[in-house]
Order: sequence, then structure tokens, then C-alpha cells
Amino acid sequence: MMTLIVGGAGSGKSACAERLIERSGAARRVYLATMEPFGEEARARIARHRAMRANKGFITLECLTGLADVSLPSDSAVLLEDLGNLCANELFSPQGAGEDAAEAILRGVAQVRAQCRDLVIVSNEVFAGGMDYAGDTERYLSVLAYLNRKLAALADRVLEVSGGIAMYCKGEENGCGCWKP
Amino acid sequence: MIFLFGPLWSGKRTAAKELLRWDDAELSRRAVWDVQELVRERTDLAALADELARNDLVIATEVGGGIVPADAAERAARERAGRLSCLLAERADTVVRVFCGIPMVMKGELP
Repeated sequence: MMTLIVGGAGSGKSACAERLIERSGAARRVYLATMEPFGEEARARIARHRAMRANKGFITLECLTGLADVSLPSDSAVLLEDLGNLCANELFSPQGAGEDAAEAILRGVAQVRAQCRDLVIVSNEVFAGGMDYAGDTERYLSVLAYLNRKLAALADRVLEVSGGIAMYCKGEENGCGCWKP
Repeated sequence: MIFLFGPLWSGKRTAAKELLRWDDAELSRRAVWDVQELVRERTDLAALADELARNDLVIATEVGGGIVPADAAERAARERAGRLSCLLAERADTVVRVFCGIPMVMKGELP
């Protein structure tokens, strides 16, 4: 089962993703972390997410780039968080795939999906703040939007989270239904 | 408490008045809006949510759906605005999201 969860800043998308992983029947829980731990703010964010996951039995694997190279334990439920970071890393970091970023990530998702029982991908709603962007920002937005569309098409479930409440765009309660936490 | 939120100019107050059969005077008396702006001054979000929850209706504009701001304070405020919405939704009996003027009940029922 593959689930795509999309939400804006502070929308509660991580908490929703963790609840879905907890509902998985898989033997192991794996957290694929994508954030570069540079600077005070990134460290604080990482610490906050670590605290949220504490006592939930997650194995944390760092994956800043090169998702296709990740090797997973058997029978796992995988939380990939988040696509926005992974996309930026692949596009702009020296180790990233650059021009090939989108396809590298899609190949990576296919590899991860083939190795696990359940995959939950957290992605970012960053497309409702106007369109007055150029250069790298515009490029980033277009690649992330492309990934959101492609992964939504591949996913069994797509949820949009806002105010800590998830709405199904695709899957179980397709359409207007809200997911009850 | 009813928590009603949605993007900028999505018709939140109009929808609230229609759904609750309130006029402007009743809205002013029983509701508070633009609460996302309060997080510029406040970081104690749980206490702020508790205070706001004393109103019958709390309205927030969603501001977390754009590209991440370059300014650190803006970035943090935007994140707090999102968290405040989560906390208000938790405390609310009814949560309504308004999109293009169309209300969708996400939690509970309308009175």
C-alpha cells in the first residue's frame, strides 16, 4: 500500500503519516529522513520530529539523495519525509541528480516500494502562495508539482491534510470524505 | 466552538453567516477572525488556542500553502499559524473548511 500525504506548513501532515504507519501490520517501522541537518532551525525541526517518533519503534535511515540506493529491512512500513526536501537536495546539492532529479526520485520510490509492505510519502503543499517566482524557485516548484502528480497517480491513497485533519483525494473514502484519526 | 478556516478570500465569513444564520452584528459579537495573525506576537500556542476556544466561532486564514519564506521569522510564524489551526481543530466541536466559497464539514456537525 502506497500513500501520499500532502499538506502545508504546520498542517499536521507528519502526525497523520505516523498514525498511518502505526496502523500498518508490518513488522518494522522505518523512517527515511531527508533533511540536511545544517543550522539551528533544521536541527530544532529534526529534534521535534524525533520526539514525535520516540517510543514508536522507528529505525531512522538518512536519505538526503539517492533514494534508489536505500536498502530496507524485510516486512517494513516506511515513512519517507519529506518529498520537498528530497527534491531540493536532488536538484541543488552537489551529490544530487540535478537535471535528472525527478526521474531519480521516481526510480527511488519504485525501489523502496518494491522492498516494503507499506510506504507513506509526505509531501508539501507549496503551490498556493502565488506564482511570482523565477529561476531555481520556479524550477523547484515545477519539479515538486510533477512528482506530486506522478506519485498521486501511482499511490493507492492520496490525502490532503489541513488543521490536523486529513481528507481523502483518492482511496478508501474517495471524494468528500474526511479521514477520522 | 466552531473552527472555520480556508485560504485568503475564500468566503469564510460569508459562509459562516449563512451556515449559522447570523448577521454581521452577531458575527462581530460571537466570532473572532484572522487569528493566524496573533502568532506574530504569541508563541504559547496551546494557551492561545484555549483563549480563542471561548468564542463560539473562530476563523483563520490558511497561510501555509506557499513557498517557504526566505525570512526566518516569517517562516516560523507561518509554521505557528498552521499549528494553531491544528490546536483549534482539536478543541472544536465542529471544523469547517471553506474552499471557493463552499463549506466542507471536516469534523462534527453544524448546529
